[in-house]
Amino acid sequence: MRRRRERAEPECMTTTRRTLLAGSAAIAAGVLVEMPAQAAPAGPVLLSDDPIAHLLRRATFGATPESLAEARELGAAAWLDRQLQPGKIDDAACDQLLKRLPQAHAAPAAVRAALPEHSYDGFRQLGQAIIARAAWSERQLFETVAGFWANHLHIAAPSSGVWDTRGDFDAQVIRKHAFGRFADMLRDAARHPATLTYLDQRSSTKAHPNENYARELMELHTVGLVYDETDVQDAARLLTGLTVSRAGNYAYDASRHATGPVDILGFRHANGATDGEGVALAFLDHLAKHPKTAELLARKLCVRFVADEPPATLVTRLAKVYLDNGTAVVPVLRALFTSPEFAASTGQKVRTPFEDLIAAVRALGLRPERDGTKGLGTLYDILVEAGNAPLRWAPPNGYPDVAAIWASPAAFLLRCNLHLNLAAGWHPKQLTRPADLLRSLVSVLPATYGELVDALAVRLVGTRLPAAHTAAVLSVAGKLPTSGVDRNVAGHAPYLIALVLDSPSFQLR
Amino acid sequence: MKTERCCPELSRRTVLGAALTGLAGATLSTQTAFAAAGAAYTGDTLVVISLRGGFDGLSAIAPIGDPAYYQARPSIGVPKNLVIGGDGTFGLHPALAPILPLWKSGKLAAVHAVGQPDPTRSHFAAMEAMENAAPGTSLRSGWLDRMLGLTGATAPMAGVSLGHAMPARIMLGSSDDVAMTGIDRFTLAGEDKRPMAAALRAMYAGAPAALAAPARSADRALAAATKVKNLEYASTVTYPATELGAALRDVARLIKARAGLVTAAVDCGDWDMHEGLGAAVKGQRMFDNLADLAQALAAFTTDLGDALNNVTVLTVSEFGRRVRENASHGADHGHGNAMLLLGGGIRGGKVYTNWPGLSPGALVAGDLAATTDYRAVIGELLRKRCGFGALDGVFPGVRPSDFGLAVAK
Repeated sequence: MRRRRERAEPECMTTTRRTLLAGSAAIAAGVLVEMPAQAAPAGPVLLSDDPIAHLLRRATFGATPESLAEARELGAAAWLDRQLQPGKIDDAACDQLLKRLPQAHAAPAAVRAALPEHSYDGFRQLGQAIIARAAWSERQLFETVAGFWANHLHIAAPSSGVWDTRGDFDAQVIRKHAFGRFADMLRDAARHPATLTYLDQRSSTKAHPNENYARELMELHTVGLVYDETDVQDAARLLTGLTVSRAGNYAYDASRHATGPVDILGFRHANGATDGEGVALAFLDHLAKHPKTAELLARKLCVRFVADEPPATLVTRLAKVYLDNGTAVVPVLRALFTSPEFAASTGQKVRTPFEDLIAAVRALGLRPERDGTKGLGTLYDILVEAGNAPLRWAPPNGYPDVAAIWASPAAFLLRCNLHLNLAAGWHPKQLTRPADLLRSLVSVLPATYGELVDALAVRLVGTRLPAAHTAAVLSVAGKLPTSGVDRNVAGHAPYLIALVLDSPSFQLR
Repeated sequence: MKTERCCPELSRRTVLGAALTGLAGATLSTQTAFAAAGAAYTGDTLVVISLRGGFDGLSAIAPIGDPAYYQARPSIGVPKNLVIGGDGTFGLHPALAPILPLWKSGKLAAVHAVGQPDPTRSHFAAMEAMENAAPGTSLRSGWLDRMLGLTGATAPMAGVSLGHAMPARIMLGSSDDVAMTGIDRFTLAGEDKRPMAAALRAMYAGAPAALAAPARSADRALAAATKVKNLEYASTVTYPATELGAALRDVARLIKARAGLVTAAVDCGDWDMHEGLGAAVKGQRMFDNLADLAQALAAFTTDLGDALNNVTVLTVSEFGRRVRENASHGADHGHGNAMLLLGGGIRGGKVYTNWPGLSPGALVAGDLAATTDYRAVIGELLRKRCGFGALDGVFPGVRPSDFGLAVAK
């Protein structure tokens, strides 16, 4: 474990000001979502309950007019089918952009040839590639799911010893299997130098097994906290031999392997052979197919895509789908996104700083810079400050995924600052912007400022803001909703746009 | 994410449960010395440094008088001839040289063989437990949040965590606290051109509480941060260019600006040395990490000057490391550990401990036995330095230790 900090998720909380975020019930659908007229909402409506808009808020990094139009034309089911077959979606523009980041996913040998030893450039390029794809890939669902897996089998970038292998891990383990079988992903992760380095397995020996990978493999990657210390010791012995060669590649070294019987979470083996690689892989397969792993993954997917406190019924169903399909993830995703629990979860997730940044870039219609990666680098640095840059979480448990963990005064200010910087074009300056941002968002200026903010909100958030919020937005320009749009509108525009993005509505997804 | 705990083997639990000083009956009262609500807090500013990843107390405060120590750690044990300070039983790791003067002047102490009641070896479960500090109860808040609440402090900057925009789990709960990467970076863009703060205040006035609370805290803290920034911060002290250095510099600014700081939480990371903990020489991981820690603490105390008389700093870590080194010149997760205490009211220059020894029979599953609950140590500090009476509101059922490690304020 390499850590700069640790913030594990709370299981539940006392009644505190943050509790309300911990439970999905707290952001009650009735409070935040437009409901049929007969169910009068108790508070201001923050989001529309349009199922297409809801699906796009969850299955993509943020709706755009184009993606909404496409989903409405295809219908939810066909849109989902299409996204679940990313190979059929043309992504040439994004692929072209990624060529500016040649080390992001390069093979270790190529990284070693291109960069000085222990360079951070590969980490930075990989982080920027993740931002670029989230913002501009047409394969949005694939990118969200790849992000999920990267966070699940998390290897921090930067972290020591993986400067040359981290990008390859992302390409050959995470992205390769993101829509495949978890058992395959887990096996390839265990045979990858980045994993073996980050979790100290590479130096484990027969005489002194190193327990780090054995523990995190069970606790974080598979069954969760149901193991005991003898499980850790047995697994650590069983995994000895998995190591990294002098050349920096995966190797199995039988001379390091500790033989002797193991009994780990239902996996029993004599482990008598010096070459224990096959047994180790059988153990990994056992873990991937363990009911506790199914439950843990189902729950985590629900936390990612449904609610901070996922519905137990859905978790149970998805765990069964996972096991019934030999750890394949696509059937699980299909079941998740077509479930009634998903349909009923509008507005129950809050955007992380990363999601907020990407959603803002997409909503504003910002495009990649003409050449180079300065703008991308700036976006990356903004996320570093917010504590949510891709892969930068230091410990191996990955970024937390519940709102309460992210809700802080500094995070709120950083969000607002980003929105204004993007809306005004102050920072980063390099991204390609519409010639007239206001006109690109609202093609025909309405008569009043109130109608203007309504139009901006419909475009950026998907629905008008509550009246009080509209009034608050306009206060920054010294206007009332009834004020007539005047020639000062261009000067006010960045602030109005930023404040719409600052609204409670835009925080929800 | 995790709702199940593994059950450590009975012997382990029994030994620890029985041996831990500070486990009293779980009576719950929230009586404190702050009888009058809103009474100004006059206790020490409590600075909590969380050493993330499992701090190796057996290197930092090396038990040089225990032969078993060198048998278990042939390559990473700190040799007797390299330790600084301490006595014949314990010695300070040479990388702590920058704070040796504080040890000698009686401002710095250590407590050894400290641990948590539940000896999990999961980083994440252990950290959660350490910050919640109320295992076996229904409390889910962080202990520093409870401490802050009981002081009745209401200043917008009463509770601050520095270094991250993410809220500190140790401050999770109903008291208002502010997480920030740094004071100078705590700003609102556009405020110099338009009334952005007022617009946001109006927009979040009626927002769902979960979204409104951070916005409200930000609004309050912005004004306070501006005041701190506007104060002439004249300091000739150079802090190390590390995250910890920057964070402690900001803590010092808040203290000197009299911003009403009751408690600050700061992280200091990367102590998880399964590999390459190394010998006690420069360039090895433990040496370099300890040197960074010591340099930041030295700068902080120099910067504070006399203000250190009203400040108490303590370090905590989720667990320690195994007594026996592994094949990677490191050590795996273990239990019993050392804490560092620093401040004007600390009775320093010594190691406080109920030392169980490191002979194989004295170990618990290969670990240094934890004979003192870390909460009991903090409890003694809360009583002696922070004006607390009963501790139940912070650490339910914990009896403070009686080491005499601090002067009563």
